[in-house]
Amino acid sequence: MTGPYPPASRRALLRAAGLSAAAAGLPGVAAGCSARDRPAQVAVVWSSQELALFHEVLRGYPAPVEVLSVGDDIDAFLSARHRAGTTPDVAILSQPGLITDYARRGWLAELPDDLGTSYAEDWRDLLRVNGRLYGAWVKAAFKSLFWYQPSIVDSEPQSWEVLVEQVSRMGAAALSHPGAPAPLAIGAADGWVLTDWFENVLAALAPDGLYESLAGGEPGWTDPAVRQSLDLLAEVWSRPGAFVGGPGRALLTQFEESVIQVTTGRAAMVFEADFVQAVVDAFRRPGQPAPKPFKFPVIDGVRPVVVGGDAAVVLRGSPRGEALLRYLTGAYAFEPWIRAGGYLSPNLGVSTDRYPAGLARDLAEDMAAAPLLRFDLSDRLTGSFGGADGLGMWQILQDFFRAVTAPRADTAGAVSDTVRRLDRAARQAADGAYR
Amino acid sequence: MSEASNRLLGELVVLDDVGPVRRGRAYPAAGAATGLLLPAGVLLGGLVLWPALRTLQASVTNPATGDFVGLANFRTALHADGAWPVLGRTLLWAAVVPAVVTVLGYLLAAASRRTYEGRLVRLVLVAPIAVPLVVTAVVFRLMYDPDPGRGTATALAGRVLGTAPAFLGPSLITVSLMSAFVWAWVGLAVVVFRAALDAIPANLADAVRAHGGTRLDVFLDARWRPLVRRTVAVVFALTALATARTFDLILVMAPGSVRYPASVLAVRVWQTSGGSTSGPGAALGVLWFAAVALGTAAAALGIRQAWPPPGQQAPVPAAAGTVTEEEPPAPTRRRPLVGFARRAGRVLPSVAAVAWAFPMLVLVATSLHAPRDAATGGWWTRPLRWDSYRQAFADGTLARSLLFTLVLAAGVTVLVVVLAMLAAYPLAWLSGPVAQGVGLVLLAAMVIPVQVIAGPVNEVLGVLRLSGTAFGLALVHLALGLPFAVLVLRNALADVPAAQVRRVRLTGRREWDVVWRMGRAILPAVVAVTVLEFVQVWNDLVVGLLFSGPDGTPLGLLLYGQARQFVANSGQLAAVATLVSLLPVLLVIAARRQVVAGLVSGALR
Repeated sequence: MTGPYPPASRRALLRAAGLSAAAAGLPGVAAGCSARDRPAQVAVVWSSQELALFHEVLRGYPAPVEVLSVGDDIDAFLSARHRAGTTPDVAILSQPGLITDYARRGWLAELPDDLGTSYAEDWRDLLRVNGRLYGAWVKAAFKSLFWYQPSIVDSEPQSWEVLVEQVSRMGAAALSHPGAPAPLAIGAADGWVLTDWFENVLAALAPDGLYESLAGGEPGWTDPAVRQSLDLLAEVWSRPGAFVGGPGRALLTQFEESVIQVTTGRAAMVFEADFVQAVVDAFRRPGQPAPKPFKFPVIDGVRPVVVGGDAAVVLRGSPRGEALLRYLTGAYAFEPWIRAGGYLSPNLGVSTDRYPAGLARDLAEDMAAAPLLRFDLSDRLTGSFGGADGLGMWQILQDFFRAVTAPRADTAGAVSDTVRRLDRAARQAADGAYR
Repeated sequence: MSEASNRLLGELVVLDDVGPVRRGRAYPAAGAATGLLLPAGVLLGGLVLWPALRTLQASVTNPATGDFVGLANFRTALHADGAWPVLGRTLLWAAVVPAVVTVLGYLLAAASRRTYEGRLVRLVLVAPIAVPLVVTAVVFRLMYDPDPGRGTATALAGRVLGTAPAFLGPSLITVSLMSAFVWAWVGLAVVVFRAALDAIPANLADAVRAHGGTRLDVFLDARWRPLVRRTVAVVFALTALATARTFDLILVMAPGSVRYPASVLAVRVWQTSGGSTSGPGAALGVLWFAAVALGTAAAALGIRQAWPPPGQQAPVPAAAGTVTEEEPPAPTRRRPLVGFARRAGRVLPSVAAVAWAFPMLVLVATSLHAPRDAATGGWWTRPLRWDSYRQAFADGTLARSLLFTLVLAAGVTVLVVVLAMLAAYPLAWLSGPVAQGVGLVLLAAMVIPVQVIAGPVNEVLGVLRLSGTAFGLALVHLALGLPFAVLVLRNALADVPAAQVRRVRLTGRREWDVVWRMGRAILPAVVAVTVLEFVQVWNDLVVGLLFSGPDGTPLGLLLYGQARQFVANSGQLAAVATLVSLLPVLLVIAARRQVVAGLVSGALR
């Protein structure tokens, strides 16, 4: 059994060697085949309704496209894929800060200038890095809206003081009568909801230039306007009984769930953008009245207008990313979003009369007419200061929320603490050391 | 006693077994052995060992300049914000959860007898281990939903305690996560302990009792020292190893606002470095691997224990009338305790079975509601409908993902079994320090977490022009599944009796034929490896997250994407989760005996 092997076995070994060599060659062939006819890939952060609408948009594209719904961790996802060399062709990001980061690292393909002419200058400049264009806008969101349940709230608060008074009154009523609806629903588990609250208040209070310089990553978080904004937020958030199930539960409530709470009448008002409409439509029961929007209350005589948006970028090395991007950002591809309602387009080719009359057209006109474009601040920050689950500005504001809604809250201390953390995070991001 | 019933954990139980008995047989010729070992060796060397060395190198190198910096990266990683709490939490997981699983598993195993009901109970308990960890996360997040109108556990706790605690809040999230993990793993402990208790001969306990031993003496001498101590070490080691990778569970079950207080090293490494290998990220990974390896080594040392042969320790009951020097004292009275223990023992398994089946029932019930109903109310309040399943299949991604994962898992399984069989065959005949060394290397390759070596693996795949393809993903799964398969098959091969080996070698025509026949001789181990590898690839999330590409979406990744807006999507999510769990649960239940034997024998030697 351990003697010299007969020649037949050597033949067997050689056969095996030949087979394995062939097997090693197969992947190369397979990779070559697959690279030629594999579908284009798009990475998005959307899920549920927005994802369904995006699939509808893609139906008009001639080639097959695969959609990767990655969620809020898209930065970690794209970083990992970049190191693997398997980036998707196109990524649709809601944070221009990320786009700036990636462009500086050389991960993105530069786009021809004619793609930028469809947008107003303010919008175009958000996607420029060192004078070169790296992205194009797919859709925009009007982020200064409140939605309320008309059967519970009789009058829309026009100013911040009235809002605080309504929340106090309804909160006290909710605490004394267990079945009564709470005044506010807030998706505090999603940090970006809290940063949207903060940005609207800051946009109203900030002196000229402060908002832009903060968005650009410059230090300035110690400005009294920031402190004043946090004070106002603490004023309304700390009202007893303000949230469904209490503040602890609010921190575990995600954004869509907070909209469902208002749709089903568990809460009276929810703050968020126009894309609330899609969630409302999905979860409203036929007999129930639909929540209606009203614009963000006036603070110190100023009504803030903050917008957000999703932009598509082409990852470097993709052969057909640009064609796909042209399609996705064209005026024609915006039709499904208009039909669904609740989405706006910054594309100049989509005129305001394409929107159905009513809220959508109203908001489109407001957005086009706003003198100063205030884009969502946390989305413009670079590095992980901007936010992701458990990191950056999202985490700082969630901690602030937890601190001011605690039973014996030290509001002034919490505000000082938050200002200090924001300032330090901004400095670290500027140094590039925040990762 | 027949050989089959004497066998447990790959070793004969009652007969003497000090040290390796059957090693050191005739070697196959060196050339053939190299040829057999080559595929597995190349795969493991290229996709596991080389990336591990690269990570080690990156951990002591400055990421920007490439100079050697000693321990500076380790210091940076440990001084980063929140590093020590994360480390502490990882150690807490590795200490608390295995202890709970072991104790609970032993109690349930001791309580469930060799009856029909006992077998049914063990079936219910073992099913959760086949369920993907992502699905476990979905199930428990549904149950712990803070809204008492929706979350089952919250509603029950509210009914019992008045106000329900916030299970998913920052103070209780780690406890809730651990409860989910214990639910998934207790079944394995129960089955393993049951097999151990069954293998101990009954007259051992009688002998101790006859010599006046109390219940404690019976436990220590008739159970603990012979076998249970070793089984405890095995179960503890397996569970501790698994807790090092609770990536899927935390990612899906912890809402964004509590991800920070819930983080363990696995999540932190992924979140802060995105699968890269530079500097402090690599240092953190190396620390993590070192901790896991130390724990595994300690457990492996604890498992080595010789059971002394009978006639030297356990006294044989003397024949009636024999006069001995000391009079054996009368057996102590313990009837009341026995009665209570017996009653508790009868009730405990049924209670456990109901408690363990309950979460899966919650999942199925939630999936049988329309998406709108599932998001706004509990499963016990609304009518049943198929809408969620219809919506799950609506756009075709689920069907495509199912097919892709099926093909991937089947392909990887076949390749793993073939390559592991080829490699285990020459390794089974090695003995001495070489065998120990190879065993240790395989063990190390088995416990290395994939997040630590993700970056260099991607580099290797990039060199082969395979990164992002389905074939590349399959190769990574193959490299990660090989060490365990080789260990299990090697142990099984080494146990084949000498006479059978001689017969096979005499009648086999060539080396390949011998290998094939040996494979037939160890069929249970082959079945175990097949089932375990298939289930591992089917249930996976981490590897798909890090290495998948445009060719297709594995099921774990699909579920993760759907769990984003959890409550609003809960109907469809529950439907997809139920569908994804069906196949692995059926497979593991059908092959549970082989699976348990395979899992446990692979951790020894």
